[in-house]
Amino acid sequence: MKLLTRTNRYYLGLSATLFVLGTGLLYEGLQHALAHEVDEQLQQQRTYLTARIRRAGALPTIALPQELTIDGPTRSESLRDTVIFDPVEREPVPFRVISFPVVVRSQVHWLTLRKSLLETEDVLKVVMGVMLAVMTLLFSSLLLLNRWLSRWLWAPFRRTLQALRGFQLQQPESLALPATPIDEFSELNQAVAQLTQRVAADYRALKEFTENAAHETQTPLAIMQARLEQLVQDPELPERTLGAVQDVYRAARRLSRLHQALTLLSKIENRQFNAGVPVSLDGVVREKLRQLQDFLEDKDIEPQVTLLTPVSVTMHPALAESLVGNLLQNAVNHNVRGGLLRVNLSPAALEITNTGPELHSDPMLLLGRFRKHNAASDSPGLGLSIAEQICTYYGFSLSYAYAPAGHLHTLRVAF
Amino acid sequence: MKILIVEDEAPLRSTLLEFLRHEGYVCEVAETYQQAHEKIKLYQYDCVLVDLTLPDGSGLNLVRTLKADKSVAGVLIISARGSLDDKVQGLELGADDYLPKPFHLAELNARLRSIIRRRQFQGQRHIVFRDLTIFPDQTLVLVKEKPLTLTRREYDLLLFLLANPNRVLTKEAIAEHIWGDDADMADSFDFIYSHFKNLRKKLQEHGADNYIRTIYGLGYKLETA
Repeated sequence: MKLLTRTNRYYLGLSATLFVLGTGLLYEGLQHALAHEVDEQLQQQRTYLTARIRRAGALPTIALPQELTIDGPTRSESLRDTVIFDPVEREPVPFRVISFPVVVRSQVHWLTLRKSLLETEDVLKVVMGVMLAVMTLLFSSLLLLNRWLSRWLWAPFRRTLQALRGFQLQQPESLALPATPIDEFSELNQAVAQLTQRVAADYRALKEFTENAAHETQTPLAIMQARLEQLVQDPELPERTLGAVQDVYRAARRLSRLHQALTLLSKIENRQFNAGVPVSLDGVVREKLRQLQDFLEDKDIEPQVTLLTPVSVTMHPALAESLVGNLLQNAVNHNVRGGLLRVNLSPAALEITNTGPELHSDPMLLLGRFRKHNAASDSPGLGLSIAEQICTYYGFSLSYAYAPAGHLHTLRVAF
Repeated sequence: MKILIVEDEAPLRSTLLEFLRHEGYVCEVAETYQQAHEKIKLYQYDCVLVDLTLPDGSGLNLVRTLKADKSVAGVLIISARGSLDDKVQGLELGADDYLPKPFHLAELNARLRSIIRRRQFQGQRHIVFRDLTIFPDQTLVLVKEKPLTLTRREYDLLLFLLANPNRVLTKEAIAEHIWGDDADMADSFDFIYSHFKNLRKKLQEHGADNYIRTIYGLGYKLETA
C-alpha cells in the first residue's frame, strides 16, 4: 500500500470520527442553548403578563390560542415539554410550556404559555449539513495538501531510491545521492552512502582475495606445467621417468582445472560479475553444439534441436556460455553410443534431455559439488554445480528429472 | 625476432627464456615493472610477453605505455589472476592476445607466431615445411604443389604442429588448443588419435613424407628431418 493511501485512510477515519462527535456535540449544544433561550422568553412573558394583569385587574384577551390558554387542564406550576399536533403541518410539533397561577379579583386563574420549539429533525439537518460541508472541505483540502506534499517533499526520497536501484557493486561511484535540505532525508542519504561504501569495500576485498588466491595457486601450477613440458622434450629421458613425469603433468593439469572451476564458483557466489547484457541464448546453444560436433559425431548422436523464436536472456555472456556449455557437455559426456539428445529452448525454459546411465538415487543429488556418476572419472564433478550456481545467481530454477523408461535424464532451466 | 619477457616468477621466467630461445627468438627478460618500463622505452621488440601481476605495478600499465608510444610490438598478456575483467580490459587496451596461466608452452608459441605473422607480413603470406605449403589466409594446403583436402580439425592440428616443429606436443596441449573449454570431455584423446590417423593417411596418399611421429603415451611431434 502506498504511504499516501495509508495516510489518507487515517485522515478519512479521523474526519469520520470528528464528524460524528462534532455533529452530536453541536446538536446537543444547540438544543440546550435553544431550550434555555425559550425558557428565558417564557419566564419573561410570565413576568410581563403577571405585571400587566395586576395593573389592568383583568385577564388578557387571547390572540393566539396556541400560545396562551387560560384555565386549561393544568393546575400546577411547572415548566415542561409537550407535543401538540399541528393541523397545518399535519404532524406533532414540540412545544415548551409554562403554567403559572395569577390572581385576578381574589380568584386564582391558571395560565399556560406555549412556545414552539425547533423540530429536532430540522436542527439535525442544519447541524449535519454544516458539519458535512466543513468536514468535506477539510478532508479534500488535506487530500490535496498531502498529494502535493508527497510529490514535492518526498522527491529527495524518490531520488535516493532511484540512485540505489541503479547502484552497482562493481562501480560504487554509480551511487550519486543528491543533496537535500531536509534533515531526515539527508540523514538517510548519509546512512545509505556509508552502507554502500562499506559494502563496496568488502566486495573489493573479497574480489582481490579471490584473484590473489587464483594467482597464488595458478602461478606454481604454471611453473610445474612449463617445467614438465620442457622435461618431456628430452629424447634421452628413460621411459620409466617419462611415465612418472606424465603422471605429474596430468595431475597438475587436473589441479589447475579444478582450481579454475572452484574460482569460478566462488566468483559467482560472491557476485563478481558485472551486470548482464541481453544474450541471445539460441545463438549460444547453436555455437556450443557446433563446438561439440566432434563428440556428437563420435557417439553417433543426432541432436534434436528445437529453438523457438530468438530467446534473449539478460546475463553475463561468459556465464551464459558456461551454463549452456556445462549442460551440453554433461548431456554428451554421459550419453550412450547412438543415444538421444534433445534440446528445447523457449522463452520460458531451456530443456536438455539425454539418454544415459541408469540412476538409482535422487538425480537432484548430482547437482552437488564433486558429485559424479562415475567416481573414477577425471572430471572434478563441478560442471552441474556451476550450472546450478549460475541459475541461482540469475534467479532461474534448475531441475534434474530422471525417467527410468529409456534411462532419460532431463535438465531444465526455467527462466 | 626479438621478444621481451616480463615475468616476476624466476622459475617460470627461466623456463620461458629457455623455451623461446630454443624456438629461435632473441629474448630479453624483465623481472619488475620498472625494468620492463625502462626496456620498452629504450628498445624495440617484435613482441612483449606481459605478466599482469608484478611486484611494483600492473602489467596493464605496460600495455598502456606501449600503445601510447605507438609501439609496433605485439602484446601477449599472460596472467594467473583468471579475472575476466583483466582479459577484457587488456584486449581493449590493445593487447593482441590473452593467455591464462597455466598454459602449454606449445600454445604460447602458436599464439606468438600468429601475432608476429599478423604484424609482420601484411597481406600474402604462407608457411613452407618440407614438401608442404600452407596459405593460412585461404586455409589452403598444398602437398608438392597439389592441393590437399582436410577437415577443419585436421587443418587445425596440422597448423598447430607447424607452429611447433621438432617439439613433443602433449595430448593435453593439443586437446586444449582444439577444443578449449571442452578439452575435458571424456573422449577428446581418442579424437586426437583418430584425427591424426586420418591426417597421416591423407598426407601419405598425396605422397608426402611421414613427418608426424607418435610419442607413445605422450603426444605427437613434427620432425623437421
